[in-house]
Amino acid sequence: MTRNMRLLASASVLAAAAVAASPASAAGTAAGTTVTNSVTLEYKVGGIDQNQVSASDSFTVDRKVNLSVAEAGTSATTVTPGQTGAATIFTVSNASNAPLDFALAATQLSGGTAAHGGTDNFNVTAVKIHADTNGNGTYDPGTDVEITYLDQVAADTSRTVFVVADVPLGRSTDDVAGVRLTATAAEATAASTLGATITQTTGANTSAVDTVFADTNANGNVARDGIHFAEDDYVILAASLTATKTSRVISDPFNGTTDPKMIPGAVVEYCIAVANSTGSATATGIDITDTLPPETTYDSAFGIKLNGTMTGSTCNADGTSGGSHASGIVTGTLNDIVGGVTRTLVFRVSVN
Amino acid sequence: MKIWLALFAFLAPAAVSAADNVSLTSKVLVERVKPGPDGKPVTVREEPGVVTPGDRLVVVLSYRNGGDQPATGFTLTNPIPAAVAFTGTDDSSAVLSVDGGKSWGALASLKVVGADGTSRPAVAADVTHIRWSLRQPIAAGSRGELSFRGVVE
Repeated sequence: MTRNMRLLASASVLAAAAVAASPASAAGTAAGTTVTNSVTLEYKVGGIDQNQVSASDSFTVDRKVNLSVAEAGTSATTVTPGQTGAATIFTVSNASNAPLDFALAATQLSGGTAAHGGTDNFNVTAVKIHADTNGNGTYDPGTDVEITYLDQVAADTSRTVFVVADVPLGRSTDDVAGVRLTATAAEATAASTLGATITQTTGANTSAVDTVFADTNANGNVARDGIHFAEDDYVILAASLTATKTSRVISDPFNGTTDPKMIPGAVVEYCIAVANSTGSATATGIDITDTLPPETTYDSAFGIKLNGTMTGSTCNADGTSGGSHASGIVTGTLNDIVGGVTRTLVFRVSVN
Repeated sequence: MKIWLALFAFLAPAAVSAADNVSLTSKVLVERVKPGPDGKPVTVREEPGVVTPGDRLVVVLSYRNGGDQPATGFTLTNPIPAAVAFTGTDDSSAVLSVDGGKSWGALASLKVVGADGTSRPAVAADVTHIRWSLRQPIAAGSRGELSFRGVVE
Protein backbone atom coordinates (compact mmCIF):
# COMPACT_ATOMS: atom_id res chain seq x y z
CA MET A 1 0.00 0.00 0.00
CA THR A 2 1.97 2.80 -1.26
CA ARG A 3 0.42 6.10 -1.58
CA ASN A 4 2.20 9.19 -2.60
CA MET A 5 1.74 11.79 0.03
CA ARG A 6 3.86 14.53 -1.29
CA LEU A 7 2.81 17.71 0.41
CA LEU A 8 4.67 20.63 -0.99
CA ALA A 9 5.57 22.86 1.92
CA SER A 10 6.80 25.72 -0.26
CA ALA A 11 7.12 26.55 -3.90
CA SER A 12 10.72 27.68 -3.72
CA VAL A 13 11.87 24.68 -5.76
CA LEU A 14 10.12 26.16 -8.75
CA ALA A 15 12.02 29.48 -8.61
CA ALA A 16 12.73 30.92 -12.02
CA ALA A 17 16.15 31.47 -13.51
CA ALA A 18 15.89 35.15 -12.61
CA VAL A 19 16.79 34.15 -9.06
CA ALA A 20 20.48 34.08 -9.86
CA ALA A 21 20.66 37.00 -12.30
CA SER A 22 23.74 39.18 -11.87
CA PRO A 23 23.16 42.78 -10.74
CA ALA A 24 23.68 45.38 -13.42
CA SER A 25 26.11 47.46 -11.39
CA ALA A 26 29.78 46.79 -10.86
CA ALA A 27 29.47 48.47 -7.45
CA GLY A 28 27.50 45.45 -6.30
CA THR A 29 24.33 44.68 -4.46
CA ALA A 30 22.74 47.77 -2.91
CA ALA A 31 23.58 48.37 0.74
CA GLY A 32 20.72 47.35 2.99
CA THR A 33 19.65 44.45 0.76
CA THR A 34 18.67 41.34 2.73
CA VAL A 35 20.06 38.19 1.12
CA THR A 36 18.23 34.99 2.02
CA ASN A 37 19.40 31.48 1.29
CA SER A 38 16.61 28.87 1.20
CA VAL A 39 17.02 25.11 0.91
CA THR A 40 14.41 22.40 0.59
CA LEU A 41 14.82 18.73 1.40
CA GLU A 42 12.77 15.82 0.04
CA TYR A 43 13.21 12.27 1.23
CA LYS A 44 11.46 8.96 1.78
CA VAL A 45 11.01 6.72 4.74
CA GLY A 46 10.07 3.15 4.01
CA GLY A 47 9.88 4.14 0.34
CA ILE A 48 7.16 6.71 1.03
CA ASP A 49 7.64 10.37 0.24
CA GLN A 50 7.65 12.49 3.36
CA ASN A 51 6.81 16.14 3.95
CA GLN A 52 9.26 18.47 2.37
CA VAL A 53 11.55 20.15 4.91
CA SER A 54 12.93 23.63 4.35
CA ALA A 55 15.36 25.99 6.04
CA SER A 56 16.62 29.49 5.39
CA ASP A 57 19.17 31.95 6.63
CA SER A 58 19.61 35.67 5.92
CA PHE A 59 22.19 38.41 6.17
CA THR A 60 22.20 42.11 5.26
CA VAL A 61 24.57 43.56 2.68
CA ASP A 62 26.44 46.47 4.24
CA ARG A 63 27.69 49.63 2.59
CA LYS A 64 31.06 49.58 0.83
CA VAL A 65 32.16 53.17 0.29
CA ASN A 66 34.53 53.44 -2.66
CA LEU A 67 35.12 56.82 -4.30
CA SER A 68 37.76 58.02 -6.69
CA VAL A 69 38.81 61.27 -8.35
CA ALA A 70 40.69 61.20 -11.61
CA GLU A 71 41.94 63.82 -14.00
CA ALA A 72 39.97 63.80 -17.24
CA GLY A 73 42.41 63.59 -20.14
CA THR A 74 46.13 63.01 -20.01
CA SER A 75 47.72 66.43 -20.42
CA ALA A 76 48.04 69.70 -18.56
CA THR A 77 45.89 72.71 -19.40
CA THR A 78 47.94 75.23 -21.42
CA VAL A 79 47.27 78.85 -20.46
CA THR A 80 48.61 82.31 -21.24
CA PRO A 81 49.54 84.86 -18.58
CA GLY A 82 46.54 86.98 -17.64
CA GLN A 83 44.02 84.39 -18.86
CA THR A 84 40.84 84.20 -16.77
CA GLY A 85 38.47 81.29 -16.20
CA ALA A 86 40.95 78.59 -17.20
CA ALA A 87 39.63 75.11 -16.39
CA THR A 88 41.17 71.78 -15.44
CA ILE A 89 38.80 68.83 -15.76
CA PHE A 90 38.24 66.00 -13.27
CA THR A 91 35.93 63.01 -12.96
CA VAL A 92 34.52 62.11 -9.52
CA SER A 93 33.24 58.53 -9.34
CA ASN A 94 31.03 56.70 -6.84
CA ALA A 95 31.89 53.00 -7.00
CA SER A 96 30.03 52.27 -3.76
CA ASN A 97 26.92 50.14 -3.49
CA ALA A 98 24.96 53.12 -2.16
CA PRO A 99 24.33 56.75 -3.22
CA LEU A 100 26.62 59.38 -1.69
CA ASP A 101 27.21 63.13 -1.46
CA PHE A 102 30.79 64.30 -2.06
CA ALA A 103 32.23 67.36 -0.32
CA LEU A 104 34.72 69.01 -2.73
CA ALA A 105 37.85 71.10 -2.11
CA ALA A 106 40.30 72.58 -4.64
CA THR A 107 43.81 73.32 -3.36
CA GLN A 108 47.12 74.34 -4.93
CA LEU A 109 50.49 72.69 -4.82
CA SER A 110 53.31 74.61 -3.09
CA GLY A 111 56.34 73.55 -5.06
CA GLY A 112 57.16 69.93 -5.65
CA THR A 113 56.67 67.78 -8.70
CA ALA A 114 53.50 68.52 -10.63
CA ALA A 115 51.17 65.86 -11.99
CA HIS A 116 52.45 66.20 -15.57
CA GLY A 117 56.08 66.65 -14.68
CA GLY A 118 57.90 69.88 -14.06
CA THR A 119 58.03 71.71 -10.77
CA ASP A 120 55.11 73.72 -9.43
CA ASN A 121 56.40 77.32 -9.31
CA PHE A 122 53.41 79.61 -9.24
CA ASN A 123 49.83 79.81 -8.02
CA VAL A 124 46.74 80.58 -9.99
CA THR A 125 44.17 82.88 -8.38
CA ALA A 126 40.40 82.97 -7.77
CA VAL A 127 40.19 79.15 -7.70
CA LYS A 128 36.60 77.86 -7.91
CA ILE A 129 34.86 74.55 -8.52
CA HIS A 130 32.13 74.24 -11.14
CA ALA A 131 29.80 71.42 -12.14
CA ASP A 132 29.34 70.37 -15.75
CA THR A 133 25.76 71.62 -15.64
CA ASN A 134 25.09 71.15 -19.35
CA GLY A 135 26.94 67.83 -19.42
CA ASN A 136 29.11 68.63 -22.46
CA GLY A 137 32.53 67.98 -20.90
CA THR A 138 33.67 71.58 -21.50
CA TYR A 139 33.67 74.48 -19.03
CA ASP A 140 31.04 77.00 -20.17
CA PRO A 141 31.21 80.18 -18.07
CA GLY A 142 27.80 81.36 -16.96
CA THR A 143 26.19 77.98 -17.64
CA ASP A 144 28.25 75.57 -15.54
CA VAL A 145 27.24 76.38 -11.97
CA GLU A 146 29.74 76.94 -9.16
CA ILE A 147 29.48 74.21 -6.49
CA THR A 148 31.08 73.17 -3.22
CA TYR A 149 29.80 69.58 -3.20
CA LEU A 150 28.22 66.94 -5.43
CA ASP A 151 24.66 66.05 -4.41
CA GLN A 152 23.16 62.53 -4.45
CA VAL A 153 25.63 60.76 -6.72
CA ALA A 154 24.04 57.38 -7.49
CA ALA A 155 25.93 54.10 -7.02
CA ASP A 156 28.17 53.26 -9.96
CA THR A 157 28.02 56.72 -11.56
CA SER A 158 30.50 59.53 -12.21
CA ARG A 159 30.29 63.31 -12.52
CA THR A 160 32.53 65.77 -14.39
CA VAL A 161 33.89 68.62 -12.25
CA PHE A 162 35.87 71.69 -13.36
CA VAL A 163 38.46 73.53 -11.27
CA VAL A 164 38.48 77.07 -12.68
CA ALA A 165 41.10 79.73 -11.97
CA ASP A 166 42.72 82.92 -13.27
CA VAL A 167 46.34 83.03 -14.43
CA PRO A 168 48.58 85.88 -13.23
CA LEU A 169 50.65 88.05 -15.59
CA GLY A 170 54.40 87.95 -15.67
CA ARG A 171 54.87 84.19 -16.02
CA SER A 172 57.19 82.53 -18.53
CA THR A 173 56.63 79.59 -20.86
CA ASP A 174 56.73 76.21 -19.03
CA ASP A 175 55.90 77.67 -15.60
CA VAL A 176 53.61 75.21 -13.81
CA ALA A 177 50.76 75.66 -11.30
CA GLY A 178 49.46 72.34 -9.91
CA VAL A 179 45.96 72.03 -8.48
CA ARG A 180 44.36 69.20 -6.51
CA LEU A 181 40.67 68.28 -6.32
CA THR A 182 39.73 66.34 -3.17
CA ALA A 183 36.39 64.55 -2.65
CA THR A 184 35.17 63.37 0.77
CA ALA A 185 32.35 60.82 1.07
CA ALA A 186 29.24 62.13 2.85
CA GLU A 187 25.76 60.81 3.56
CA ALA A 188 23.27 61.35 0.74
CA THR A 189 20.33 61.96 3.06
CA ALA A 190 18.44 65.14 1.98
CA ALA A 191 18.59 66.47 -1.57
CA SER A 192 20.29 69.84 -2.09
CA THR A 193 22.03 69.56 1.28
CA LEU A 194 25.53 68.25 1.91
CA GLY A 195 25.21 65.27 4.29
CA ALA A 196 27.44 64.44 7.25
CA THR A 197 30.91 63.08 6.53
CA ILE A 198 30.76 59.28 6.54
CA THR A 199 32.73 57.33 9.12
CA GLN A 200 33.57 53.66 8.98
CA THR A 201 31.72 51.32 11.34
CA THR A 202 34.14 50.19 14.02
CA GLY A 203 33.54 47.16 16.15
CA ALA A 204 31.14 44.34 15.44
CA ASN A 205 28.46 44.12 12.80
CA THR A 206 25.18 45.76 13.72
CA SER A 207 21.69 45.01 12.52
CA ALA A 208 21.69 48.36 10.71
CA VAL A 209 23.66 48.95 7.53
CA ASP A 210 27.33 49.25 8.46
CA THR A 211 30.00 51.04 6.44
CA VAL A 212 33.35 49.82 5.17
CA PHE A 213 35.77 52.12 3.30
CA ALA A 214 37.28 50.64 0.16
CA ASP A 215 38.98 53.62 -1.53
CA THR A 216 42.50 53.01 -2.82
CA ASN A 217 45.90 54.59 -2.29
CA ALA A 218 46.39 55.40 -5.98
CA ASN A 219 48.55 58.45 -6.85
CA GLY A 220 49.51 59.36 -3.31
CA ASN A 221 46.11 58.84 -1.69
CA VAL A 222 45.60 57.19 1.70
CA ALA A 223 43.69 53.92 1.32
CA ARG A 224 40.38 53.38 3.09
CA ASP A 225 39.81 56.82 4.60
CA GLY A 226 36.71 57.90 2.66
CA ILE A 227 38.73 60.61 0.87
CA HIS A 228 40.24 60.64 -2.61
CA PHE A 229 42.04 63.27 -4.70
CA ALA A 230 43.67 63.77 -8.07
CA GLU A 231 45.88 66.53 -9.47
CA ASP A 232 46.18 68.42 -12.72
CA ASP A 233 48.37 71.30 -13.93
CA TYR A 234 48.19 74.68 -15.59
CA VAL A 235 51.24 75.16 -17.82
CA ILE A 236 52.15 78.59 -19.18
CA LEU A 237 52.75 79.16 -22.87
CA ALA A 238 53.75 82.82 -23.09
CA ALA A 239 55.03 84.99 -25.88
CA SER A 240 58.59 86.12 -25.32
CA LEU A 241 59.30 89.28 -27.29
CA THR A 242 62.52 91.18 -27.58
CA ALA A 243 62.70 94.47 -29.42
CA THR A 244 65.96 95.62 -30.92
CA LYS A 245 66.51 99.01 -32.51
CA THR A 246 69.35 99.50 -34.98
CA SER A 247 70.26 102.27 -37.35
CA ARG A 248 72.37 102.73 -40.46
CA VAL A 249 73.36 105.67 -42.56
CA ILE A 250 71.80 105.53 -46.00
CA SER A 251 73.31 108.65 -47.63
CA ASP A 252 74.84 112.03 -46.98
CA PRO A 253 74.72 115.16 -49.21
CA PHE A 254 78.38 114.84 -50.27
CA ASN A 255 79.15 111.10 -50.50
CA GLY A 256 75.72 110.04 -51.67
CA THR A 257 75.17 106.41 -50.90
CA THR A 258 78.87 105.52 -51.16
CA ASP A 259 80.33 105.30 -47.66
CA PRO A 260 77.95 107.96 -46.29
CA LYS A 261 78.84 109.70 -43.05
CA MET A 262 76.66 110.77 -40.17
CA ILE A 263 76.77 114.52 -40.94
CA PRO A 264 73.97 117.07 -40.99
CA GLY A 265 71.79 116.26 -43.98
CA ALA A 266 72.53 112.54 -43.84
CA VAL A 267 69.62 110.13 -44.13
CA VAL A 268 69.51 107.52 -41.36
CA GLU A 269 67.30 104.44 -41.40
CA TYR A 270 66.00 103.01 -38.13
CA CYS A 271 64.93 99.37 -37.88
CA ILE A 272 62.95 98.19 -34.88
CA ALA A 273 62.99 94.39 -34.90
CA VAL A 274 60.53 92.49 -32.73
CA ALA A 275 61.51 88.84 -32.23
CA ASN A 276 59.27 86.18 -30.61
CA SER A 277 61.43 83.35 -29.32
CA THR A 278 60.98 79.84 -30.65
CA GLY A 279 58.35 77.75 -28.85
CA SER A 280 56.42 80.75 -27.60
CA ALA A 281 52.75 81.59 -27.94
CA THR A 282 51.79 83.87 -30.82
CA ALA A 283 52.02 87.54 -29.88
CA THR A 284 49.22 89.78 -31.10
CA GLY A 285 48.38 93.46 -30.89
CA ILE A 286 52.01 94.53 -31.16
CA ASP A 287 52.02 98.33 -30.93
CA ILE A 288 55.29 100.16 -31.40
CA THR A 289 55.86 103.77 -30.41
CA ASP A 290 59.16 105.45 -31.13
CA THR A 291 60.10 109.03 -30.25
CA LEU A 292 62.55 110.53 -32.73
CA PRO A 293 65.73 112.12 -31.40
CA PRO A 294 65.33 115.94 -31.37
CA GLU A 295 68.25 116.35 -33.80
CA THR A 296 66.40 114.51 -36.56
CA THR A 297 63.54 115.14 -38.97
CA TYR A 298 61.14 112.43 -40.05
CA ASP A 299 61.45 111.41 -43.73
CA SER A 300 57.84 111.35 -44.86
CA ALA A 301 58.76 110.45 -48.44
CA PHE A 302 60.06 107.09 -47.25
CA GLY A 303 57.29 106.60 -44.77
CA ILE A 304 56.97 103.70 -42.34
CA LYS A 305 57.40 100.12 -43.50
CA LEU A 306 55.70 97.45 -41.38
CA ASN A 307 56.10 93.65 -41.13
CA GLY A 308 59.44 93.50 -42.90
CA THR A 309 61.74 90.53 -42.40
CA MET A 310 65.36 90.19 -41.33
CA THR A 311 68.17 88.18 -42.84
CA GLY A 312 70.73 87.60 -40.17
CA SER A 313 71.15 91.03 -38.62
CA THR A 314 70.13 92.93 -41.75
CA CYS A 315 66.69 94.48 -41.97
CA ASN A 316 65.32 93.69 -45.41
CA ALA A 317 63.50 96.38 -47.36
CA ASP A 318 60.36 94.28 -47.73
CA GLY A 319 57.94 95.95 -45.35
CA THR A 320 54.61 97.43 -46.45
CA SER A 321 53.56 101.02 -45.88
CA GLY A 322 51.61 101.68 -42.75
CA GLY A 323 51.78 103.25 -39.34
CA SER A 324 51.75 107.02 -38.72
CA HIS A 325 53.96 109.88 -37.63
CA ALA A 326 52.97 112.96 -35.70
CA SER A 327 55.06 115.53 -33.83
CA GLY A 328 58.21 113.47 -33.82
CA ILE A 329 56.57 110.22 -32.71
CA VAL A 330 56.35 107.22 -34.99
CA THR A 331 53.71 104.59 -34.26
CA GLY A 332 52.79 101.35 -36.01
CA THR A 333 51.11 98.03 -35.26
CA LEU A 334 52.70 94.82 -36.49
CA ASN A 335 50.85 91.66 -37.57
CA ASP A 336 50.74 88.68 -35.18
CA ILE A 337 54.16 87.15 -34.66
CA VAL A 338 54.33 83.40 -34.08
CA GLY A 339 57.14 81.86 -32.04
CA GLY A 340 60.49 81.85 -33.83
CA VAL A 341 59.67 84.77 -36.15
CA THR A 342 60.98 88.35 -36.29
CA ARG A 343 59.16 91.31 -37.86
CA THR A 344 60.37 94.86 -38.34
CA LEU A 345 59.16 98.46 -38.38
CA VAL A 346 61.44 100.61 -40.51
CA PHE A 347 61.49 104.42 -41.02
CA ARG A 348 63.99 107.07 -41.96
CA VAL A 349 65.03 110.44 -40.68
CA SER A 350 67.47 113.12 -41.79
CA VAL A 351 70.05 114.54 -39.47
CA ASN A 352 69.33 118.19 -38.80
CA MET B 1 -13.93 -3.98 6.62
CA LYS B 2 -12.62 -2.30 3.54
CA ILE B 3 -13.16 1.02 5.16
CA TRP B 4 -11.07 -0.03 8.10
CA LEU B 5 -8.33 -1.31 5.84
CA ALA B 6 -8.36 1.91 3.88
CA LEU B 7 -8.19 3.94 7.07
CA PHE B 8 -5.35 1.77 8.34
CA ALA B 9 -3.51 2.25 5.05
CA PHE B 10 -3.98 5.96 5.41
CA LEU B 11 -2.74 5.92 8.96
CA ALA B 12 0.03 3.36 8.47
CA PRO B 13 2.81 5.81 7.74
CA ALA B 14 2.63 7.09 11.27
CA ALA B 15 6.26 7.18 10.41
CA VAL B 16 5.20 10.48 8.78
CA SER B 17 5.58 12.09 12.18
CA ALA B 18 8.96 10.37 12.57
CA ALA B 19 9.87 11.82 9.18
CA ASP B 20 9.39 15.30 10.61
CA ASN B 21 12.30 14.41 12.87
CA VAL B 22 14.59 15.09 9.95
CA SER B 23 15.93 18.54 10.67
CA LEU B 24 17.66 20.88 8.30
CA THR B 25 19.49 24.16 8.80
CA SER B 26 21.03 26.63 6.40
CA LYS B 27 23.93 28.72 7.62
CA VAL B 28 25.64 31.42 5.61
CA LEU B 29 29.23 32.08 6.67
CA VAL B 30 31.80 34.54 5.38
CA GLU B 31 35.27 33.30 4.42
CA ARG B 32 38.01 35.75 5.40
CA VAL B 33 41.78 35.51 5.29
CA LYS B 34 43.33 36.53 8.58
CA PRO B 35 46.77 36.23 10.13
CA GLY B 36 47.08 32.84 11.82
CA PRO B 37 48.76 32.03 15.11
CA ASP B 38 52.15 32.00 13.40
CA GLY B 39 51.46 35.13 11.44
CA LYS B 40 50.81 33.35 8.14
CA PRO B 41 47.45 34.07 6.51
CA VAL B 42 44.76 31.46 7.19
CA THR B 43 41.23 31.25 5.88
CA VAL B 44 38.58 31.35 8.60
CA ARG B 45 34.80 31.05 8.44
CA GLU B 46 32.84 33.56 10.47
CA GLU B 47 29.34 34.78 11.08
CA PRO B 48 28.45 37.26 8.33
CA GLY B 49 29.13 40.39 10.40
CA VAL B 50 29.89 43.28 8.07
CA VAL B 51 29.37 41.89 4.55
CA THR B 52 29.95 43.94 1.41
CA PRO B 53 29.98 43.14 -2.31
CA GLY B 54 33.00 41.00 -3.17
CA ASP B 55 33.04 39.09 0.12
CA ARG B 56 33.34 35.28 -0.18
CA LEU B 57 30.57 33.16 1.36
CA VAL B 58 30.18 29.52 2.33
CA VAL B 59 26.63 28.18 2.72
CA VAL B 60 26.59 25.17 5.04
CA LEU B 61 23.51 22.93 5.04
CA SER B 62 23.29 20.59 8.03
CA TYR B 63 20.80 17.75 8.22
CA ARG B 64 20.01 15.16 10.86
CA ASN B 65 17.73 12.15 10.79
CA GLY B 66 16.22 12.27 14.26
CA GLY B 67 13.68 9.57 13.47
CA ASP B 68 13.97 5.86 14.16
CA GLN B 69 13.83 4.81 10.49
CA PRO B 70 16.49 5.23 7.80
CA ALA B 71 15.69 7.90 5.23
CA THR B 72 16.32 7.36 1.51
CA GLY B 73 16.13 9.45 -1.60
CA PHE B 74 17.62 12.43 0.25
CA THR B 75 17.45 15.33 -2.24
CA LEU B 76 18.31 18.86 -1.20
CA THR B 77 17.66 21.70 -3.63
CA ASN B 78 19.10 25.17 -3.02
CA PRO B 79 18.43 28.11 -5.39
CA ILE B 80 21.43 30.44 -5.49
CA PRO B 81 20.28 33.73 -3.87
CA ALA B 82 19.93 36.70 -6.19
CA ALA B 83 22.81 38.70 -4.71
CA VAL B 84 25.27 35.80 -4.68
CA ALA B 85 27.38 34.40 -7.52
CA PHE B 86 28.04 30.64 -7.19
CA THR B 87 31.73 29.77 -7.25
CA GLY B 88 31.91 26.06 -6.43
CA THR B 89 31.22 23.06 -4.23
CA ASP B 90 33.34 20.16 -3.02
CA ASP B 91 30.44 17.67 -2.75
CA SER B 92 30.55 14.90 -5.35
CA SER B 93 26.83 14.31 -4.90
CA ALA B 94 25.99 17.81 -6.20
CA VAL B 95 24.59 18.67 -9.62
CA LEU B 96 24.01 22.17 -10.94
CA SER B 97 21.42 23.93 -13.06
CA VAL B 98 21.81 27.07 -15.12
CA ASP B 99 18.23 27.17 -16.39
CA GLY B 100 16.22 27.63 -13.23
CA GLY B 101 16.08 23.99 -12.22
CA LYS B 102 14.80 22.47 -15.48
CA SER B 103 17.93 20.50 -16.23
CA TRP B 104 20.85 19.36 -14.09
CA GLY B 105 24.39 18.20 -14.54
CA ALA B 106 28.05 18.89 -13.89
CA LEU B 107 29.10 22.44 -14.77
CA ALA B 108 31.29 21.19 -17.64
CA SER B 109 28.25 19.64 -19.31
CA LEU B 110 25.97 22.67 -19.08
CA LYS B 111 25.41 25.28 -21.76
CA VAL B 112 23.82 28.71 -21.71
CA VAL B 113 21.74 29.82 -24.68
CA GLY B 114 21.87 33.53 -25.47
CA ALA B 115 19.04 35.71 -26.68
CA ASP B 116 20.21 35.25 -30.27
CA GLY B 117 20.11 31.48 -29.97
CA THR B 118 23.87 30.91 -29.78
CA SER B 119 25.02 28.69 -26.94
CA ARG B 120 28.23 28.82 -24.95
CA PRO B 121 29.60 26.66 -22.12
CA ALA B 122 28.20 27.66 -18.74
CA VAL B 123 30.46 29.24 -16.13
CA ALA B 124 30.07 29.16 -12.35
CA ALA B 125 28.35 32.55 -12.24
CA ASP B 126 25.57 31.18 -14.50
CA VAL B 127 24.48 28.61 -11.91
CA THR B 128 20.91 29.17 -10.70
CA HIS B 129 20.42 26.09 -8.50
CA ILE B 130 22.44 23.42 -6.76
CA ARG B 131 21.02 20.02 -5.83
CA TRP B 132 22.43 17.15 -3.84
CA SER B 133 20.97 13.66 -4.33
CA LEU B 134 22.37 11.32 -1.70
CA ARG B 135 22.29 7.71 -2.84
CA GLN B 136 23.10 6.12 0.51
CA PRO B 137 20.33 5.87 3.09
CA ILE B 138 20.64 8.23 5.99
CA ALA B 139 20.61 6.01 9.05
CA ALA B 140 18.43 6.87 11.99
CA GLY B 141 20.24 9.24 14.28
CA SER B 142 22.94 10.18 11.76
CA ARG B 143 23.75 13.66 10.54
CA GLY B 144 25.68 15.26 7.71
CA GLU B 145 26.75 18.49 6.11
CA LEU B 146 26.78 19.80 2.57
CA SER B 147 28.10 23.13 1.41
CA PHE B 148 28.71 25.43 -1.52
CA ARG B 149 30.67 28.63 -1.98
CA GLY B 150 29.78 31.95 -3.56
CA VAL B 151 30.71 35.62 -3.76
CA VAL B 152 28.46 38.55 -2.78
CA GLU B 153 27.70 40.40 -6.00
